[in-house]
Amino acid sequence: MKVRAVYALILLLAALPWFIGSRYIFHIATMITIMIPLVLGMHLMVRIGQLSLAHPAFWGLGAYASALLTMRLGMPPLLSLLVGAAVPSLVALAVGPIFLRIKGVFFVLLTFAFGEIVDLIFQEWTGLFGGNSGLYGIPKFSILGLRLTQIPHYYVLGLIAAILVYLLMRAIERSDVGAILESLNEDEMLSRSMGANALAWRVAAFVVSAFAAGISGGIYAFYIGFLSPDPFGFQTIVDLIVMVTVGGAGSVLGPVLGAIVTVPLPELLRDAREYQLMIYGVCLIGFMKFAKQGLISFIVDKRRGA
Amino acid sequence: MTAPLLVVDSLTRRFGGLVAASDVSFTVAPGEIFGIIGPNGAGKTTLFNVIAGHYRPTAGRVSFEGKDISGHAADEVGRRGIARTFQAVHIFKNETVRANLHRAAVLARRHNPLTWLSRRPHATPDLEGTAAFLGLDMLLDNVAGSLAYGLQKTVGVGLAMMVGPKLMLMDEPAAGLNPSEKIAAAALIRRLRDERGISVLLVEHDMPLVMGICDRILVLNQGMPIALGTPADVKSDKSVIDAYLGEDYEFA
Ligand SMILES: Nc1ncnc2c1ncn2[C@@H]1O[C@H](COP(=O)(O)OP(=O)(O)O)[C@@H](O)[C@H]1O
Ligand SMILES: [Mg+2]
Repeated sequence: MKVRAVYALILLLAALPWFIGSRYIFHIATMITIMIPLVLGMHLMVRIGQLSLAHPAFWGLGAYASALLTMRLGMPPLLSLLVGAAVPSLVALAVGPIFLRIKGVFFVLLTFAFGEIVDLIFQEWTGLFGGNSGLYGIPKFSILGLRLTQIPHYYVLGLIAAILVYLLMRAIERSDVGAILESLNEDEMLSRSMGANALAWRVAAFVVSAFAAGISGGIYAFYIGFLSPDPFGFQTIVDLIVMVTVGGAGSVLGPVLGAIVTVPLPELLRDAREYQLMIYGVCLIGFMKFAKQGLISFIVDKRRGA
Repeated sequence: MTAPLLVVDSLTRRFGGLVAASDVSFTVAPGEIFGIIGPNGAGKTTLFNVIAGHYRPTAGRVSFEGKDISGHAADEVGRRGIARTFQAVHIFKNETVRANLHRAAVLARRHNPLTWLSRRPHATPDLEGTAAFLGLDMLLDNVAGSLAYGLQKTVGVGLAMMVGPKLMLMDEPAAGLNPSEKIAAAALIRRLRDERGISVLLVEHDMPLVMGICDRILVLNQGMPIALGTPADVKSDKSVIDAYLGEDYEFA
């Protein structure tokens, strides 16, 4: 019942920009929808017990790949969005078998280093990525001859993607695949003794989660129309961790709530920019001390999920 | 004579300077209940972990159904038909008994993300039938972690059964059970063999249980095999009595 109330509240919030009608509100709402697939990708890894700091880099890879596929190869935007999201997936498939043998803090450090390297490549390979001065002239998104020129158009695109990725993650969680991933996380020795190839399943989760991040990246690229390496670095790592912690990792709905609550924060705190990290810190400590399971724990009991 | 199911050939496992298992050889025949006994630290669990693929052997070989499986990963060994139960209870404590058994079957059938590509799916036993076999049919919807300790161990046996094994490695299945539960555990091991055709390799401290149900027994002491034979042979073996059982040990 409470979960339904949350769905209703989210729907209401999602409709809010049309009632207010402000471009600025539409922009914030669009950014929320763009962050949702990304944070859900990160969340899938958290669910298998691996905190991946590579996801901002996957986000960036999806963004640059989608933009370049349309700009350089003239691919239709919808196709470059999907093919572009497959790029971080393929990278995850390539590095996953090495990274995912490693657990705990070393995995965190390794994925952090990986993200820094990718970000460095975005900065230094100016011929392809435009370096720090950026990649300009990304065409507008279009689908079935429909060109998306207004912010609300991108908001609708973002909403559709966020909903699809949310449904995908929820379907995974509720399926046998979800049971397998949870089993491996709970008791790897037991699960392996029953025949499960732990590494292969972890790589599969990594690939799917990188695809979700890539979708976010592609929509971001077409929406903003300009890319620089800036957003794909450390700040986004902090943002994502805050989203997962505040929303709660125990259910797929948690990170969605986290994104809804967290993305508008920098805008609300615009006059207090320098305090932003501090406020994040206080939020994190507060949640870890008083609500370890995040906002979602106030709504659903943590075992059943939403 | 039929070909042995499991062959352990001159197996050695060292941890640094410590030889936890030294030149151990034995075979398990199809349909056999084979016991391994020895004092604490004798290397029994180590031997299990090497056979099950959790540790690599330092030297020697393990083969199963005529194929070399030495050094194979734990999941590969599992897929070949060797299941195991653990000395400590390993089950999914937050899930119901039904979900536990379901998970075991799913983990075995969909052992990697691409199994849907393979034409012949791995067959696993019927869940309700397995639960009934174990006497867990009335408890299917109970959360596994809330059951009594003995029942949790039974759920562990259920998990091993659900993967459809030919051989089950059982590490101290009766440890921590009360006397009547021990009798039930012994009966269950027999029924695994008699009714389900599962051969059993058993490590157990409870002497009456081991002597009562095993066809043959291997005795280890400080990693070294000191005797191998039927319960009667082992009971009367001089070196076994000296090293392990003690002069005043009373066999049941
Ligand atoms: N992973 C390990 N690393 C180092 N030593 C180990 C390890 N596992 C077991 N041992 C040592 O090997 C010996 C045999 O242990 P174990 O196989 O657990 O004996 P048992 O099960 O017969 O009681 C012990 O001395 C133990 O300390
Ligand atoms: Mg032991």
